[in-house]
Order: sequence, then structure tokens, then C-alpha cells
Amino acid sequence: MLEILPQLLVNALITGSIYALASSGLALTYGVLRILNFAHGHVMMVGAYTFFFFTVERSLPIAESSILASLAIAVLGVLVLAVFILPFSRGNSLLPLVTTIALGSILEALVSMWFGVSVRSLPLPGAGDSLEFAGVFITPLQVGIILSALVIFAVLGFVVHSSPLGRSVRALAEHPQAAQGLGVSRTKVLLGVFTTSMLLAAYAGVLVGYETNLQPTMGGSYSLKAFAAMILGGLGNMWGTIVGALILGLLENLSIGLDFGGYSLPAGYKDAFAYVIILCALLFRPQGLFGTGERRA
Amino acid sequence: MSDISGIIFSEYTIHLAILVGLYAILAQSLNLTFGLGQLFNLAHVASYAIGAYTTALLSTEAQWQFVPCVAASILLSGAFSVFLGTIALRLTNDYFAIGTLAFGAVVSSLLINWRSVTHGVLGIPGIPRPEILGLDMYQNSNFLALLLVFVVAVQALYFAISRGPFGRSLRALAEYDQAAAALGINTRLVRNVAFLLSSAAAGLAGSFFAYYLNYIDPTSFAFGEMIFLMTIVVVGRPGSFFGVLLSTAFLVLLPEPLRFLNLDSATLGPMRQLLYSLILFAVVWWKRRSIFPEQREV
Repeated sequence: MLEILPQLLVNALITGSIYALASSGLALTYGVLRILNFAHGHVMMVGAYTFFFFTVERSLPIAESSILASLAIAVLGVLVLAVFILPFSRGNSLLPLVTTIALGSILEALVSMWFGVSVRSLPLPGAGDSLEFAGVFITPLQVGIILSALVIFAVLGFVVHSSPLGRSVRALAEHPQAAQGLGVSRTKVLLGVFTTSMLLAAYAGVLVGYETNLQPTMGGSYSLKAFAAMILGGLGNMWGTIVGALILGLLENLSIGLDFGGYSLPAGYKDAFAYVIILCALLFRPQGLFGTGERRA
Repeated sequence: MSDISGIIFSEYTIHLAILVGLYAILAQSLNLTFGLGQLFNLAHVASYAIGAYTTALLSTEAQWQFVPCVAASILLSGAFSVFLGTIALRLTNDYFAIGTLAFGAVVSSLLINWRSVTHGVLGIPGIPRPEILGLDMYQNSNFLALLLVFVVAVQALYFAISRGPFGRSLRALAEYDQAAAALGINTRLVRNVAFLLSSAAAGLAGSFFAYYLNYIDPTSFAFGEMIFLMTIVVVGRPGSFFGVLLSTAFLVLLPEPLRFLNLDSATLGPMRQLLYSLILFAVVWWKRRSIFPEQREV
């Protein structure tokens, strides 16, 4: 049983990186906006299908497809923020929950109508031969996933912690009125943060498309996974959420891969881990693993 | 004259009436928690599923009769809500929504993966309709009459509750819970009871759904169903008794004309989903200032 442990850990790092890319944007948005975006997983799905549209249906090269898909998602981000979120950010706190749920459902229905409900996948250029390091197999794509996640988080960390833009983001997250009083434009920062979050989600969606496959109905379960990661890390805490995503990836891979004395968990339950994590975290540590402040729940 | 009665009592109209009846129970019970109580309960369909599966399993594998099956469905769904309420009602706003969503997802996952009990995606076929007072329930008109008894009972209960002291407490909690607590309303108890009643009614609807279709599988209890119920309550105005009744009939019948366009089911499903979610968004947009009462804080 222990022989496969290194392989499971590497797999966990790959899954965790994808979940981290998907959920970090959610945490960043929540920090500034204090609105839970139920359509976050659906944006991943739309991002993946947009990329699929350009690379497979229009057979454009990957670089061009990436640029076009990013542009499309950025435009979608601005639209979503202007139509589905900002008009409801003041007033009853139930409103944005309902509108983002409606948005997720609208996106799912549109993609189902356009691409059909069957499973699709993104074909790999030069089908990846697995590399082997000391008994652990990893494909070049998976190396790319881990490296790109590292680079993206390094850049994101730099921007958030040591740039003027990042200072306004953090100021708005900490004390919106004071920050706006000192001349920080909430709308501009929101646009930047929200679009970034959508692009990160779309990138994670494309990676899911390469690693496994695409289906219009995948959005809901990825929203829940991102919530699980964010609840573990503390709502709105970006670094905490990234750690939460890695923990989620680890738990999923260990539970399915290891057999506990002849009894192993059926693979179908893999997704259920996120849900159980959410419930346990809400019961025992609603402030997240790293939260220190008062209980907000 | 016979033409008209032929239309009114045709199998198709009776089928539609049964659907409206089932959704009237489901939507009005959601209206108690989501509408009156402003509790964003995303696990309502889970209660419905538990009711349906309880009846399906007990009537096929244990050959239980109608009354014990319906009672068991109501009790189990009610018990589920106590469990759900214990965890979720300690939470507020966003946490509450995520918690109930996760709860619903756990139930969906069990329906699909716990194959030894739920038969997974294959579902449970051959659920026999009961025979009551010598009436054959395979006759849809008889089934409709039986269902109507329960529909009227649930609606009457909701009406009485929402106009009574309990309904006022629930409404007060939604608007200003510190003030309500200061007036001596037991906040936890009121919300738990609302959850219990709402979930038990959903279990009842589930039981009838299983009997009506004779076959159930996990697809009937997907998240889309939750969005549909939410749409009914939002369109009818949350907390409004007659509004939700009217919007149930309106929204259940609305996509029926699509049937005559001869579309295949792969297009029809997403089209209905798009229609309902657009309506949900449009109504929330239009009524965004008044749809939910303003929450006040100390």
C-alpha cells in the first residue's frame, strides 16, 4: 500500500493545483465584494468550452485560441459583474445568491444547447508520454500544470502584496469605506479582481478539459469544490484557500487510492469529499483553518 | 358539450393537474422556509428525494401499504430536516447557503453512489400504485382526487401557519432577528419547526411523485429542480400564499407548448432550464428593491 503513496502525493499535487487555480479567484473576489459567486464553477466550464470552440471546432493553434478565449472570458466577466452582481450588491444579502445561481443555470443551459450535453475532451498535441521519476509517473502536461500554478501564484502574490493595485485590493477588503474615502475606486478594483478571478477559473477549466473531460453539468460540482477550499482557508482568505485546495486534492486522492484493509471507497464518492469537508468545517471551524478572529458564522 | 368534458378530463389534462398539485405542495413548503423565513434552504429537493426513495423502497422491497409508506416518507424527511437544521441553523447568510447546498449535494451523491440501497443511476422501477377504498389508483383521475386531498390539506396548513402567531414570529426573525429574540421568540425553535414542517411536506410530495411515476431515478432530484422551485417562489413573491399557488400553475404549464415544437429531449431540457433561469433572474432584477424585506441590524 505504501509503494503507491509517492504517486498519490504527486497526483494530489496536480489535482490540488487545479483546484487552487479555480478557487483562489473566488477567494479574492469574496474578499473585496463579500458576495458568494455560485456560478464560479460554471465560469470554469464556460472557459473550457470557449477554448474548446477555438481549438477544436475552429482548429486554431493553441496560442491564438488562448488569446481569443481569454478575451471572450474577460468580456463575459465585465458583463456578469455589471448585470448579475453589482446591481444587487446593496440591499438584501439573498439577492446576489439568487442571481448568481440563476447565472450558473443560464450558462449551463446555453452551453448544453450549443455544444450538446455529451462528454467532450480537449485533445493533447503530441499525446503526452509519461515521464518516470523513481517509480512516479507524470505527464509533461501535469508538470506544466504544477509549474504554471506556481508561476501564477507567485505573480498574484507579488501583485496583491507589493503593488499599488494590490494595496487598494487589500484596503477595500479590510475597510471599504475608509479605502473609498482615501480615493480608491471600488469599481475599478472590482473590475480588475473579478476579471482576474474569471480568467483563473477559465484556465482551471481548460486544465480540467485536458486532464479529464468536459460536460456542461460539471459547473455545480466545481463551485462546491471551490467553496470547500475557501471554507477550509477562511472566506476571502486567498492563501488560506490555496492551502485548502491542496488539502482537498490530497484527501480526494488518498481516499480513493489507498485501500483500508480490503475496503476501499468507491471512486464515485470522490466528489462527495468536498461536501463532507464543507459540513465538517462549518460544524467545527467556520472561521477556516487559519482564521483567528471572531466567529462570523 | 361532450367535446368540452372530453378536453377537461382527458389523460393529458389530468396529468398536468397532477403535476401542478405535486409542485403546489413542494413550492408552498419551500415558501415557508425560503419565503416567510428568508432561510435560503438549498436542500429542499433533498427532502423531496428522501420522501420519494422511502416510498419507492418500502413499497417495492418491503411491500408496505399506502398509509405506512406515506407516513414513513413524511417522518424520514422530517428527521432529515432536524439533522440539517442542527448544522445549518447555527449559520447565517452565505454560510447557511453553502451548508444547505453541501447537504443537498451529499444526498444527491448518495442517490447515485449508494447502489446497494438506491440502485444508483438505474433508479427504482415497478413502484405499485395503491388501491384505496376500493378505488383503483392506476386510474389517473382517482389518483388526482387522492392527491388533491393532500394538496388542500398542505395549503390549508400553510395558510393557517402563515397568518398565525408562528408565521408572524418567522417573518419577524427574517427581518430583524435580534429584535424578535428580544421579544422572547425562541429563534432556534421557530426556525427548526419551520424546517421540519417544510421538509415533511416535501417528503409527502416525494411519496406521491414515486407512486405517480411508478419509477424514480436520481435525475428527478438534480439541482435544476431546486432552481425551478426557487423560481416558483420568487415569481409568486416570497411569503405570499396565493402568489405562490398561482405561479406554480403558471410555471408548470408554461413550457408545455414547447412540447408541440417536436424538439428532441436533449434540446428540450436545456431550453426549459434556460427559460426558468431567465425568468428567475428577470423577476429578481425587476423586483430587487422589494422582493425580500430589508434586513435590519442593531
